[in-house]
Amino acid sequence: MSLTSRGTPPVGELSARSVLGGDASRVQRTGRPLPFGDERHLQAHEWLVDESYLLSAQKYEEWLDLLTEDVHYLMPVRVTTALGSGFDTSPGMAHFDEDKYSLSRRVARFLTEHAWTEDPPSRLRHYVTNVRTFATDDPEHIVVESAILLFRSRGDVQESALVSAGREDLLRADGDGRRLARRTIMADESVIRMQNLAIFL
Amino acid sequence: MTEQTSVLRDVRRGMIPAHIYNDGAVFALEKERLFSRAWVFTAHESEIAKPGDYVVRRVLEDSFIVTRDEKGEIRAHFNMCLHRGMQVCRAELGNASHFRCPYHGWSYRNDGRLVGLPFHQDAYGGEEGFRRKGQRLLPAPNLATYNGMIFISLDPQAPPLADYLGDFRFYLDYYTKQSSGGIELRGPQRWRIKANWKIGAENFAGDMYHTPQTHTSVVEIGLFREPKAEKRKDGCTYWAGNGGGTTYKLPPGGLDERLRYVGYPQEMIERMKATWSPEQLAVIGDNGFMISAASLFPNLSFVHNWPRVADSEDVLPFISIRQWQPIGADETEVLSWFAVDAQAPEEFKALSYKAYLMCFGSTGMFEQDDVENWVSLTSTAAGSMARRLLLNSRMGMLADGAPVTPDLSPERFAGPGSARVGYSEYNQRELLNRWADHLERPIDAPAAVEVGTADGRNPEGCA
Ligand code: FES
Ligand SMILES: [Fe+2]
Repeated sequence: MSLTSRGTPPVGELSARSVLGGDASRVQRTGRPLPFGDERHLQAHEWLVDESYLLSAQKYEEWLDLLTEDVHYLMPVRVTTALGSGFDTSPGMAHFDEDKYSLSRRVARFLTEHAWTEDPPSRLRHYVTNVRTFATDDPEHIVVESAILLFRSRGDVQESALVSAGREDLLRADGDGRRLARRTIMADESVIRMQNLAIFL
Repeated sequence: MTEQTSVLRDVRRGMIPAHIYNDGAVFALEKERLFSRAWVFTAHESEIAKPGDYVVRRVLEDSFIVTRDEKGEIRAHFNMCLHRGMQVCRAELGNASHFRCPYHGWSYRNDGRLVGLPFHQDAYGGEEGFRRKGQRLLPAPNLATYNGMIFISLDPQAPPLADYLGDFRFYLDYYTKQSSGGIELRGPQRWRIKANWKIGAENFAGDMYHTPQTHTSVVEIGLFREPKAEKRKDGCTYWAGNGGGTTYKLPPGGLDERLRYVGYPQEMIERMKATWSPEQLAVIGDNGFMISAASLFPNLSFVHNWPRVADSEDVLPFISIRQWQPIGADETEVLSWFAVDAQAPEEFKALSYKAYLMCFGSTGMFEQDDVENWVSLTSTAAGSMARRLLLNSRMGMLADGAPVTPDLSPERFAGPGSARVGYSEYNQRELLNRWADHLERPIDAPAAVEVGTADGRNPEGCA
């Protein structure tokens, strides 16, 4: 699978294997990526781009509304393992292993006047590329994967920091639009080079 | 060196030359005299539960393979091939009976013994030219465990670990031995912060004073049952052996009631009662103090807290162990583990993990604000003005050294060491005094080990 190393489980299964993903949707991608002209791909791509503007602008309340009530938001800890060991994420540990409640607390904190880590706020830019969309067995769901690069600059002394990751998202149809039901973020570093993850990817 | 002499003298008065938080010369001394000598945490036995399991951990630049060999014995091998010095193991965890060097193919059993040496006869003329027998990856000069925590020291003359920990073991048990099963560790999350390593160690050791300010937001969003972070001043700090920490004052009640108050289920409480000493139980049940953050000199910290993890009144306790691994004078790698009692119910383990993620670690809402402060402090300490500033770290002490608040009597605090209620910087001073003890004491050059020769030891005995 494209987001993980050789011989490791497909990224879509990591939610089921995580400690807190018990209630997450289990719908998986099927077949080959949809053609870029497919309506579902165009919608998914647009959804991701719109979302990235919310995240960069830290409009987190609006962002929360894009998530389903049963959302599972997972960012495993990547580890360096020998080829053929069969895993490249830390067993039983993640950076994020979130449900809507814990995400809502994180958002609520940013809305207080005392979240010092973002006062003054960072300048953020989320770059979303390499978007591919997959059908699932359930017409209500599509899987979309993307590469994301977050640039974060704070103050005028510190060097800026980057996080590079692959993501696999499960988007669920909801009225006219779609909502995020599951996201797995595969960081490309085992040791994060950012002072904290007081951001979302 | 004269300059450091005055630095150490100031530190001992509780006055801190601000530049020690970002100074290459100070860091060089820490490397030479502190980390080459102190007992440093590397891993917990639960991380290498089965024979062949290994993790690779560092003490500054020195990489060690910490492994359980086929006989079950815990070992720490310096991760450098005896041939030309290649790093033998380049994964950070896994399971292996042997390690084969990628450069020329020497291979080592997981107990460290050199067992494979390609073309031994052709290239070296066999044992005659290179003594393979008895060769092993260089073991850590000292290795010992407490409650499954594996420590190593680069000093062959290090005091026994038990002596080094001293009475801090009493407090370590709260974090690492809540039942006869001990703890299991998960993680670590690892990330780099542009902050000096001492700041985190000092903060966790005794800084109850920062909580109402730094962590206001976490209280505001209702993560804690206590309505005001100022509650912290009712807690006490303690120092014992080579470590110390902070506590919260619990509401009135007996032992069971107080442990339930922070969210422990009754079955875990029963195991605590069967595991801890009467004094350890008395600190909670009689004295009403619950351990919170702590640090063990030099760079290991602990935290225990009990947030809400769902939209309900219930709270759930969690434990984190973290290491402030120095990278340079202005940079630290944080290794943050989640720890939980191995015999805890599975549901408790999952929710406790959730509590950990919400509060500490790379994404933790407490940690986020802590690190922001420490990074700013470090960059501000780099310049020449910081060299003129002696920070006052004498909180809790009057001009003549008399305490603002008297020590708690044994009736009010059953634990060993000294303890006092309220805000103070006693523990930060304890930590930095030990730091000064190491920095002012020159080290003996360690004996060199010679590879493959007849006696295996350099007769001059110097590196
Ligand atoms: S350096 Fe390891 S075999 Fe040569
Ligand atoms: Fe803090």
